[in-house]
Amino acid sequence: MHELQVQGVTKQYEKVLAVNNVSFEAEPGRILGLLGPNGAGKTTTIRMITYITIPDSGQILFGDARVGQKSQEVMGYLPEERGLYAKMKVGEQLMYFAELKGMSKAAAREKIKYWLDRMGALDWVQKETNELSKGMQQKIQFIATILHDPKLLILDEPFGGLDPINADLLQDVILELKDAGRTIVFASHRMEQVEQLCDDICLISRGEIVVNGALSEVKKRYGKNVVMIDFEGSDAFLDPLESSGAVRINVRSTRHAEIRLLNGTPSKQVLKAALEHVSDITRFELVEPPMREIFVTAVTEQQGKQALDAAQPAGGAQ
Amino acid sequence: MTRNKTFIVAKNEFLKRVKTRWFVFTTLLGPIVLVAFFAVIGIVSASAIEGGESTILVLDETGRMASELSDPEGKLSFVATDASEDNLRERVLAGEADGYLVLPAGLIDGDAGARYYSTEGGGVSSFNFDLRNIIRGTVRTLRLQDQQVAPEVYDIINAGVGLETIKLSDEGEEQGSSAAYAVVGGIMGFLIYITMLIYGSGVMQGVIQEKMNRVVEIIVSSVKPFQLLMGKVLGIGAMGLVQMSFWAILIAGGTMGSGFIISLFVDTAKLNLPDTATQAEVLDAVGFQIPDLGPEVFVFFVIYFLLGYLLYATLFAGIGSAVEQQQDAQSLMIPVMMPIIVSIVFLQAVIEAPNSTLSVALSLIPFTAPIPMVVRVAMIDVPIWQLALSLTLLAGTFVGAVWVSSRIYRVGILSYGKKPSLKEIIKWMRYA
Repeated sequence: MHELQVQGVTKQYEKVLAVNNVSFEAEPGRILGLLGPNGAGKTTTIRMITYITIPDSGQILFGDARVGQKSQEVMGYLPEERGLYAKMKVGEQLMYFAELKGMSKAAAREKIKYWLDRMGALDWVQKETNELSKGMQQKIQFIATILHDPKLLILDEPFGGLDPINADLLQDVILELKDAGRTIVFASHRMEQVEQLCDDICLISRGEIVVNGALSEVKKRYGKNVVMIDFEGSDAFLDPLESSGAVRINVRSTRHAEIRLLNGTPSKQVLKAALEHVSDITRFELVEPPMREIFVTAVTEQQGKQALDAAQPAGGAQ
Repeated sequence: MTRNKTFIVAKNEFLKRVKTRWFVFTTLLGPIVLVAFFAVIGIVSASAIEGGESTILVLDETGRMASELSDPEGKLSFVATDASEDNLRERVLAGEADGYLVLPAGLIDGDAGARYYSTEGGGVSSFNFDLRNIIRGTVRTLRLQDQQVAPEVYDIINAGVGLETIKLSDEGEEQGSSAAYAVVGGIMGFLIYITMLIYGSGVMQGVIQEKMNRVVEIIVSSVKPFQLLMGKVLGIGAMGLVQMSFWAILIAGGTMGSGFIISLFVDTAKLNLPDTATQAEVLDAVGFQIPDLGPEVFVFFVIYFLLGYLLYATLFAGIGSAVEQQQDAQSLMIPVMMPIIVSIVFLQAVIEAPNSTLSVALSLIPFTAPIPMVVRVAMIDVPIWQLALSLTLLAGTFVGAVWVSSRIYRVGILSYGKKPSLKEIIKWMRYA
């Protein structure tokens, strides 16, 4: 049972193909990470899911019906670019958003109180937005997104601008909603957050899907090809390894390195090189690639391929 | 459900604005300005009627005129003197007299002009007008005497020529100053002009702000852009309607009350009326006619305000959605503003000739109709067919404007970056 289904969706703006035949699903009780470099077509995809724009072709289903005004009422959307009415009071503003989602005043009032209390923001009800700090506004906006207890949540960089304490608070709420069976789409550039929160991922680049599936499976697909090594002594052994083209070094610090094995280089080769140079090794582990590594690899591969595709038929039609 | 969300947006826009200090301020200040306006009319007409008595020293070099000068209304008294001009100047400056008049020897023969010196200088007040008439009358009389014209002839020449203005209508002749109707019409036309611009640009500002602070993306994930647009226009329109209705009632009241205000400034004793004279008797003696405006004038005032506002607010909203900053909107506003400016430029022409082809044409063209039509309705009986045609065209144009604007709006509110050209905006309209 897929709650949200994006089926072969295409959207073109002027001469730009923003989204090209994209299909993916999001399921209740799970968090889908919607990833991609800037300008990949994430926002366009989200706007089609939220029925702000309509696809040129393909369809988007929520439950059993196409998205539309009905699905908008059971959907909560936190856009990346945050915005509240500067001169409206927090309470009035939340009430307005709740009413637009079809809530009754009484129900809205109760929910507003509950969530403001939960977020430690009950004192702000009578304050105008422009009296609040960025982080406070962020929390208010998040409350506006979940106030009507939506079945589908679309959160675009929900942690941006939050301190660690408030980020944890928000994360708790998100996980709670997930456990309560909500379908959650989480868009972010922060790969460690994606890794922490997401069950599934969908990586878009230049309007096309490059990676899609359960996070654990995607990782498996890439195999264990990253070496994590902690050591004492000189890190000079890394240079010949890298220059020979056997590995790419993702992270390099005084006592730690994250090394991606290239072209089937055995991990043994790295270990051997290290043993010859360092005074001691405290950790040596072959692991699945972190999300960040998958992101970079998949996107560069696809864009390299696209560049190649574009270069080849250069003699033909332009 | 559709109407419901439009209503929620409208309610929010309405309440948000009505609660501001600005709204309370303008709603209350408007009437104060109006009352002040009527009070000034009252004071001016009352003082023109009574005036103060003025004493004028006369240095008569003709030797014949001083004894002849007299004011039939008794407001000016002339005192002959042979003191030097320096002496007279000092006496006037000291406040002993209101001014001094020099009648040069050649005045009667037309070789020189009279000179009047006062602390108030020249101007076009009724005082100067009266003084000139008295001098001219006296000079003419003396010239006629010099030519040995029979006294009967100059009685004929000096006989007053009256001009009474009477308004024609289907109900018969109405005695009254058509000037008063023109004033009321002009005020109404001007109010529509100002409010259309203020409320219309209020809608535009709201759209730009929503876009600028990115709230719009949240709103349109709950509401159709069309509902948001209409809710905004209707909410701000409702606010305007409240304000305008309040003012319309006050204009109606003020028009009726202007008689009372005038009578406050008139001294009954000076009009040879008993202290017990009724207000009507006072006004009658003064010759002031209260403009008799039917309720339909105020109904049309509100209808034309509403339709004019709706038309322009919708267009302004479309423009607002296309830009990101107020400044960027200016160049796009010009084509929309032109008709409003045209109708205010021709306001005077419409007041002067409310039935001219120009006036009729302006009040039928939907983009210019609201202002001239309201002026005409206040001044004359506009034929029903003209009203019907004008309202139909205006309403039809409004529907067309909603169609055009909502298509621009839909694309515009989510477009950031470069300011679009008019050509690009027209292209947006064709998007499915």
